[in-house]
Amino acid sequence: MSRHLHRPLVLGVIALVSAFCGVSRATDATDATDATNDHSWQPAPYSLGQGLYFPDQGLRIGGYADVHFFDLSGSKADSSLRDVSLFVTKDIGSRWQLFTELATSRTVNVTGAQNGGGGQAKVDVERVYADFHATPAITLRFGKFLTPIGEWNLVHADPLTWTVSRPLSTSAAFARHAAGAMAFGTVAVKGRDLDYWVFADDSKNLGVGQDADDAFTDYTGDHSPRNNFLHAFGGRVLYHLAGDSLAVGASFVTYQLEQPRHDYQLTGIDFTWTTRYVELTGEAIYRTGASPLSSERGGFVEAGIPIVSHLYLIGRIERYHTSVPETTTVVRTEALNYRPIPGLVLKLEHRNGRNGEIVPAGWLASISVLF
Amino acid sequence: MPVYRHIARLSLFGLVFAGPVTWAAQVQVAVITAPAAPRLAFDKDTLRNVYLKRIFVDGDGVKLAPVNLPADSPLRGIFTRVILHMSEQPLQDYWDKQYFQGVSPPYVLASDEAVVRFIAVTPGAVGYVASCHVDTSVHIVMLLPLPAGTAESGLCADHTGAP
Repeated sequence: MSRHLHRPLVLGVIALVSAFCGVSRATDATDATDATNDHSWQPAPYSLGQGLYFPDQGLRIGGYADVHFFDLSGSKADSSLRDVSLFVTKDIGSRWQLFTELATSRTVNVTGAQNGGGGQAKVDVERVYADFHATPAITLRFGKFLTPIGEWNLVHADPLTWTVSRPLSTSAAFARHAAGAMAFGTVAVKGRDLDYWVFADDSKNLGVGQDADDAFTDYTGDHSPRNNFLHAFGGRVLYHLAGDSLAVGASFVTYQLEQPRHDYQLTGIDFTWTTRYVELTGEAIYRTGASPLSSERGGFVEAGIPIVSHLYLIGRIERYHTSVPETTTVVRTEALNYRPIPGLVLKLEHRNGRNGEIVPAGWLASISVLF
Repeated sequence: MPVYRHIARLSLFGLVFAGPVTWAAQVQVAVITAPAAPRLAFDKDTLRNVYLKRIFVDGDGVKLAPVNLPADSPLRGIFTRVILHMSEQPLQDYWDKQYFQGVSPPYVLASDEAVVRFIAVTPGAVGYVASCHVDTSVHIVMLLPLPAGTAESGLCADHTGAP
């Protein structure tokens, strides 16, 4: 285990110990009929995809697991990537809540018989933070959290996304995690909901989980650049229209990356439009900086269409331009997404495109479960 | 919202003192809280955000605890359509994503009576029941008319004294 993991692990352990020991008893006992009984560790009935919940403790334990199979240009066809993430959420009184996500991933040989075909398992503290609900419209978050740029980065877990692969526009140009403080909430603007996030990152000094952020998932080898923040400041707004069927978002972040250490400004837009017959989503980013080599821009549009019960056909087109190397990548992705029961997702995906050095063409599949 | 509260009080007064036949004909969805109601401007948008867990505390910092009826409850179906404006699958997707953020869906209680008992003793709790189940232990903050064509008799079938 890398020495870089020690500090985040300590933070994660502190969060977990606090959660399990019960820093304070939850005050919102959720079953009035048991109010006088000592059943404080009596869990609520378990449902797949909702975690194990102890109402009287204000404690929820859950997570997700997935196995990715891939056969891509330049990769070993018999390899797979396995991820397991564990979530722990703990209410502290009426205003505070602790959350942590511990994740481990490992590239292994599918057959298992060869023994030694895989890489080393890594344990990362993906997220660890404390939320303080200051007012109905403001929650303050302290710790390591997902960078609020676009929708995908905030809900990137395999069981929650339509496809196995992740668009470059959702990770390549910025760090997926930030460490510092954030304010977020929902306010009404002209009778409609506006979600907002404003954050300040100081990863250089807080140094939480520096090993985790690859610029993109590199199935053919560990060659993707690490793009952790040194410092960042920014925010996002998401405006809901027509109920929640249409949401339009915009992001702006100014930051300095660890490698290469330049100053950048990134602007992003995103949308989600859900109808009975199709769900359309899209995100785009435009990054600039002092150096001409800082420029990156790209975006994708994705459609999910229900074809029979619990089975969806997915199509996505992405275009992404990088300055180093100077190239424009175009990726077309077609996929099937099957959700037989809540919490369980099976995916099969084919992608191809032009200039596939970053995104090799081929097949991907995954089985994932939210537990 | 004062107007809502005024209407709610008048409606509760009418429900309590009206005869059983009249009462059955006026069943509505009653949104209830503990007698000391949370300091929130209760309108449909606010109620929606409470139930979607976009609002966590009231103006005094009291934690809000929305509760649901079981998934197969007709009243829950009505409430979901009228207030949340979401069908089953989008709502499931929404809670899956919230779960990833550490936010849990509203806790589920088994019956209207259980909701009333829980709400009556829990500051910050918010629930909904058929108005025929409301008693003086809780405070009505909003009344929602039933959609046309709703079978009212089923909503009050397990209530003592209901026709």
